[in-house]
Amino acid sequence: MHEMALMGDILQLVERDAASREINQIEKIELVVGDLSNALPDALEMAFTVFRARGIGRLSSNAQLIILKEHAKAKCTVCAHEYEPEARLTICPECQLPSGRLIAGETFKVQSYEGS
Amino acid sequence: MKVLLEEEVLTDNNLSAKFNRDLFQTSKTLVINLMSSPGAGKTTLLEKTVAALGEEFRIGVIEGDLATEKDADRIRALGAKAVQINTNGGCHLDARMVAKVLPEFDFEEIDLLFIENVGNLVCPSGYDLGQHHKVAVLSVPEGNDKIPKYPVMFRRTEMVILNKVDLLPYLDFDVQMAIEDLKGINPESKLLQVSARTEDGLDEWFAWIRAAYKQIEAQ
Repeated sequence: MHEMALMGDILQLVERDAASREINQIEKIELVVGDLSNALPDALEMAFTVFRARGIGRLSSNAQLIILKEHAKAKCTVCAHEYEPEARLTICPECQLPSGRLIAGETFKVQSYEGS
Repeated sequence: MKVLLEEEVLTDNNLSAKFNRDLFQTSKTLVINLMSSPGAGKTTLLEKTVAALGEEFRIGVIEGDLATEKDADRIRALGAKAVQINTNGGCHLDARMVAKVLPEFDFEEIDLLFIENVGNLVCPSGYDLGQHHKVAVLSVPEGNDKIPKYPVMFRRTEMVILNKVDLLPYLDFDVQMAIEDLKGINPESKLLQVSARTEDGLDEWFAWIRAAYKQIEAQ
């Protein structure tokens, strides 16, 4: 459960940028969270609610958190097959070699925010 | 107005990690971040490592725990410098916490620094501390299913020390399955079988440390 800490980092990034643009009310934050980023969307939502209720920084009292999930995707470096990885994620389901590499699913970033 | 930020959430952590890494590089200190579940045997492994390599290398240890100085005291008892970080409930170490205690070490006087992370197979995996190597410790009583269950940890570490192999005859741990799972999740990683208690297999771990240190020295 490190989502409280992560949400603290997210709000700090947004806060810093908002200050530089003289944006005083943050209404919406959009995140991209990969399946394999080790951050749980539900726990992030909960952490966001806690910070919002505390009236931290420029966060408006009805600010919204939007989470765009990035599903894990792998591509085989031998046969170029693209697949949704399972537990043994480097094993290509086509050629059975451990030659798959993740091409999506590890992203964890603040995409954008809205404010005035 | 809408602002397109597209910034990594861990940007600030990664900046601190870079600061740490630069310091480790300049002083040619080999830094290893050890991660595992609670009770896998990280501290016992470090005790045996300090006891065996203490004459060859000057060793420092950073201990991460929610509370108490118990682990740091175990290392200090062997004569090595140990600094305890208490996260007060936090489930991982981040680069800023590590940066804060670095002034307590004299890096001209340290060849090896071990960072024992908070016992947890999830959260510590995401944080770069500026280390040269990330190593996971897994112990036989935890079961071989931990590798596929916590893929992020095993993807982001370059070696798994399978500890407590002296218990293999009494438990259902399937070593072959663990090796196959690890290969499927991270083909570059390898599994080292040890028992920190009986000291079986530790020579291979020590050899790995010596080789890693030579690399840092040569840079």
